[in-house]
Amino acid sequence: MPPDADNAVRLRFDRGTLLLQGVPRNRARALPAPELWEWDGRVRAWRADAMHYAAIRQIPDERWVGAWRDEVPGPPPVHWPKVDLPPLRPEQDEALTAWRAAGRRGQVIMPTGTGKTEVALAAMAETGAATLVVAPIRDLMYQWHRRILSRLGYDAGIVGDNLYNLQPVTVTTYDSAYIHMDRIGARFGLIVFDEEHHLPGPCRREAALMCTAPGRLGLSATPERSDGRHADLDHLVGPVVYAMPLARARGRTLADYDVVRVPVALTQTEQTTYDACSRQVRHYMAAQRRERPGYAWRDLCSESGADPAARRAQKAYYLKKSIEDRAAEKLRVLEDLFRLHVGQRIIVFAGSNVMAMEVSRRFLVPTILSHTRKRERSAVLDGFSEGRLPVIVANRVLDEGVDVPAAKVAVVIGGQASTRQAKQRLGRILRRTGNMRATLYEVVCEATREVERSRARRRSDAYERTRHRRV
Amino acid sequence: MLTSEHVIVEYKDGRARPDRLQRKRHAHYAACAEQMLAIYRTGIGRQRRALHRDVETLFAKEPDCPLRRTRAFAKLLDDASTYQTDPKGEASRLRLRVFEAAAPLHPLVRRKDRLFEHAEAETKAAIAADVGLEWDEIDARLYADVMAFQQLESFEGYPDGVALLSRYNVAQLQACLYAAERVTVRATQDFKTILRYAKLARLLHEVRRVGPSEYVIEFSGPASVLRGTRRYGVAFARFLPALLACKGWRMTAVVRTRWRARAVLDLSDQDRYTSALPPPEEFDSGVEERFARKFGQQREGWRLERESEVLADGQTIFVPDFVFRHDDGTTVLFEIVGFWTPEYLAKKRETLRRFPGQGILVAVPERSLREGAEPGAGVIVYKTAIKVEPVLSALEAVRGSRSP
Repeated sequence: MPPDADNAVRLRFDRGTLLLQGVPRNRARALPAPELWEWDGRVRAWRADAMHYAAIRQIPDERWVGAWRDEVPGPPPVHWPKVDLPPLRPEQDEALTAWRAAGRRGQVIMPTGTGKTEVALAAMAETGAATLVVAPIRDLMYQWHRRILSRLGYDAGIVGDNLYNLQPVTVTTYDSAYIHMDRIGARFGLIVFDEEHHLPGPCRREAALMCTAPGRLGLSATPERSDGRHADLDHLVGPVVYAMPLARARGRTLADYDVVRVPVALTQTEQTTYDACSRQVRHYMAAQRRERPGYAWRDLCSESGADPAARRAQKAYYLKKSIEDRAAEKLRVLEDLFRLHVGQRIIVFAGSNVMAMEVSRRFLVPTILSHTRKRERSAVLDGFSEGRLPVIVANRVLDEGVDVPAAKVAVVIGGQASTRQAKQRLGRILRRTGNMRATLYEVVCEATREVERSRARRRSDAYERTRHRRV
Repeated sequence: MLTSEHVIVEYKDGRARPDRLQRKRHAHYAACAEQMLAIYRTGIGRQRRALHRDVETLFAKEPDCPLRRTRAFAKLLDDASTYQTDPKGEASRLRLRVFEAAAPLHPLVRRKDRLFEHAEAETKAAIAADVGLEWDEIDARLYADVMAFQQLESFEGYPDGVALLSRYNVAQLQACLYAAERVTVRATQDFKTILRYAKLARLLHEVRRVGPSEYVIEFSGPASVLRGTRRYGVAFARFLPALLACKGWRMTAVVRTRWRARAVLDLSDQDRYTSALPPPEEFDSGVEERFARKFGQQREGWRLERESEVLADGQTIFVPDFVFRHDDGTTVLFEIVGFWTPEYLAKKRETLRRFPGQGILVAVPERSLREGAEPGAGVIVYKTAIKVEPVLSALEAVRGSRSP
């Protein structure tokens, strides 16, 4: 860097970091909040994470040695063309008040279906600053775009899904935020992390680290992650300022529901193949473990390239999974459930795209998959909510947050055991419409690993106080 | 480029070894590569899924071939292909039409009974008749816009099987670098190319001289001083082909393994990877080349070296075209100004100003001088070619001023 003409101390935003120029290396003591800075010999300046911008600005002038210039571009103010927010329910109001009291920085934990989005929109409305909303997937990103348009009258920019239209108020996805934050990180006064449990991953967290926005709002129904990294949210977003337990939501805002497990048997051929595959995997693992205690699935995967036997075991495992996923009997059970609930809206969750399309082609019912484009998606969702289309089939896409019209019946025919997925899936069918109880069917193959996964799902607190039945 | 789902890296004793096909050990891959090219060349109109399956089948009995390798081949072949997309959303429209027609008849049951009278087969036949196609045709078109079902439209391809295999090897190297946190290059030549491409990839450098005409250059990104980050991995991968095209270098990359440990990837020009880029030009211009030829390797105690010194001031780099070294140890840098737009000259002046006291001679074309301007000391004016005599006397002048 060229030596500055007047040797002034300057604070700049540099590709996702803050750069403090004009304080020589040997004068570290002259730095405000010295623990935040690292010396960068490549550019002969001090560097800090952009996230600390608010903290650095709050340092009183007398702690700075001499004059300094803040050259970090400030976010533009935003005027909402037409605010049309519904009155907040008491718990939403509590959440907003708590966030405001915490200095507009922190996490709001509320169960799915209790109106987190309304809380965020109210927060945006009163903050009146340039805002970036980060959502996990593009469907949700578009949904935020629609909500901001209808509630605040603002046509927000979109960064993601091969679009790059940056506006003072912009919606994006976690992946796009990670990619672009080093360029756009200094343009916002408020950043909203929807389904914030996606944030603490080793890469995605940089979306929070590289952004100067002092206002931060994290939203989730289920912040916990199996890797324990949700603890980092305190640092990346702020403390939990409001948490509403699921039990409080149920029966008041949400409908009650039953969980019904429907066991299906594999066909003779499926079962034979399944057992053969299981045996093959088991024998292979056991044989390896005799030689090398502690041999794990991970080792098998890494050796599958050089070792055809390991590769065969790996293939057997995948075949097993695919038999579970696509068991022929599941389509039959589905037919029975469709007969049982004729006249009611049903959402089917498949474990894979392939299975979702199989259901779709068998029953001629529409799918909502990750590659479904915007127009078809709204046509299908509209048709479903107006009752013209009785069934939609989805894979993981509808797992969290995507608004679907209320359904009273959901059928899970595949998927993993994680707690969050289970909760989110429940959230989909639990939106209150009248007093009718909702039903969640879990179709699982008997004598397979799927039964265990279903049990694991039920152990989570999402299923507490629900009635379990077997048919 | 490959994505992280194609990466094959072996980590052993703290070293990262990206997958590499070898001429001897994988001799039979040459034939496979030709077959893969044939699958795509003759596969116009076929579905992506089918092409991928054929590529996979080719290696089914191969004792040494992980699934990721076949998928990587398919990806590299896809990268050189154009698939039919469905820009008008015909599949989407067909789906909505079929599903809306079927909705009032829901559920389509296998066998009809008194309660449910819409059997699957009959209903499908009726809808097909209404649409005006066979049901099988509809069934095939229903999800034709899904990636896996797209049809191959054209295949640009690779010159031959060997080119595909070379591309594969470099692609695996690049994919390994996606997980890199920093890259260190130790180089003895081609500094200009190395530094220029690193800058194009928006990397920051730190240059350290470790010997006569030998430098260690550390590459990383802005946030690298704050934490280990893989954010610049793609930049390293983009920079790599330029490095592979150079000579006289060794590279060490620190990569993060999947298990959050660190490993080291070592590489040098002796590894003989084939770059997609041509080797750097020996001379930047004809003026340079002619001068170097005229001067020869050595003359009157002065040895002539090409681009053998790197001057660095923060992120500004200056690699003079030539370095003269006298037997008595005097070193003089020589920069030939070949173009003459005013912006170029201004920029050059600015760069030279950053390195005062370095003993730099500059050759300037006469045309670039303003009318009546006096060239200062250390400036040699030339018309079309640089003569040896004025350069030698300028060199001696520098030597004279340096000697005690």
